[in-house]
Amino acid sequence: MSDRITVEELAELMKKAAGVTVDPAELEQRSDSGFDTFGLDSLGLLGIVGELENRHGTPMPTDAERCKTPRQFLDLVNSSLVAGA
Amino acid sequence: MSEPTPRRAAVTGIGVIAPNGLSTDAFWKATREGISVLGRITREGCDHLPLRVAGEVRAFEPATAVEERFLVQTDRFTHFAMAAADSALEDARLGQSATDEAPFSVGVVTAAGSGGGEFGQRELQQLWGKGSRFVGPYQSIAWFYAASTGQISIRRGFKGPCSVVAADEAGGLDALAHAARAVRRGTDVIVAGSTEAPLAPYSMVCQLGYPELSTEGDPDRAYRPFTSAACGFVPAEGGAMLVVEDEDTARERGAAVRAVVAGHAATFTGASCWEASREGLARAIDGALAEAGCAPEEVDVVFADALGVPDADRAEALAIADALGRHGRRVPVTAPKTGIGRGYCAAPVLDAAAAVLAMEYGVIPPTPNIFDICHDLDLVTTRARAAELRTALVLSRGLMGSNSALVLRRGATGAP
Repeated sequence: MSDRITVEELAELMKKAAGVTVDPAELEQRSDSGFDTFGLDSLGLLGIVGELENRHGTPMPTDAERCKTPRQFLDLVNSSLVAGA
Repeated sequence: MSEPTPRRAAVTGIGVIAPNGLSTDAFWKATREGISVLGRITREGCDHLPLRVAGEVRAFEPATAVEERFLVQTDRFTHFAMAAADSALEDARLGQSATDEAPFSVGVVTAAGSGGGEFGQRELQQLWGKGSRFVGPYQSIAWFYAASTGQISIRRGFKGPCSVVAADEAGGLDALAHAARAVRRGTDVIVAGSTEAPLAPYSMVCQLGYPELSTEGDPDRAYRPFTSAACGFVPAEGGAMLVVEDEDTARERGAAVRAVVAGHAATFTGASCWEASREGLARAIDGALAEAGCAPEEVDVVFADALGVPDADRAEALAIADALGRHGRRVPVTAPKTGIGRGYCAAPVLDAAAAVLAMEYGVIPPTPNIFDICHDLDLVTTRARAAELRTALVLSRGLMGSNSALVLRRGATGAP
């Protein structure tokens, strides 16, 4: 499993790991807004990183949990998954 | 220039999530009627344990009380705290827009005895069942004693002084006193109290080590303090949050001043040293009365700690006599917690809530399930007693040796 992570998957992870409900279309549209504006805090992002690592069986970049926006996060983890694939 | 009048800490709102009611009204009606809701523990994974009777909060639906992210990120004890804080703020008519205008004027103080045991157990089961990579990051804060203070302040946007009292069961009263001190020092509003959720398998196993715990299986006989049949205490979940507010600020915005937090003192006499708690509790009462400027004869009702252990009950009866003198044998004493159980830090906060309501309605609620008292106390049993109440004394002791006393005076406004 090394597919790219989509905004849909990120939205699903935000709900699962932190209980934050967000419409994928909105997440896409506001992908340069801070995670905090969606109600996701740093522990929530850390939980998402952990969940992705478990799903993909590979460590995420150490900076993943420090990303401020959905776009930054998706770019970083997807480049890492592509490089590792 | 004249000295400014010292600020006084008023109670302007009460929010309750208790085994006998999910609102202050329901709690008060059941408490006044002396209805016992102690029952066999029904929570999942608990039915094989020797602790069988408790005061459970059965109808509470966390999903209707708090937003989804708090369901995922916090424990049941914090869900109770958020729901009770919402009710207390609504009762005080402090809406979100009012507190948003002055966020630094509002703080939170809670006390917690067991923290988020259910959440912690779930994550620890992940740790040992699947491995460390399956433990969620919210475990780092959800189990913690400070969680409810932090999450209430985050959720409501409060930026005033926040704290947590970790001082045994009596910490519930200490939290109210701490809130009153913060108000006297200049913060306008403190949301203060305690809620607990100790009825989950891990938390219950922790409690089994307490020699004071009742393992009696008959709910009507499991918790009978001040009687010769006393066999320990029954635990409970739930609790209460109060809005403690500067009296003048409250009056200026037209809020009802329900009561004034007039005096408090705390002492320590060692874990399970119940004989020594006599002196400790008496000294706490002395200190609380002195701070309140209250003579012993002015105390109209005592809400007892009522542990249900013979040595502890004797020590409490003697402490009341030591501190109040001859008045100690005449003053009505009650322990409504025999009908709902003892919710650790939350127990004395529920007693403080009941004391405020008792003063407002001029009624002393009874002590359920208690008949033949074997101490020299005027314990109110069977049914409520009408009485003009201006001053209430609330007592609490912790299993680890803390003793606290709180003096509440009736507010100027009458029954709501």
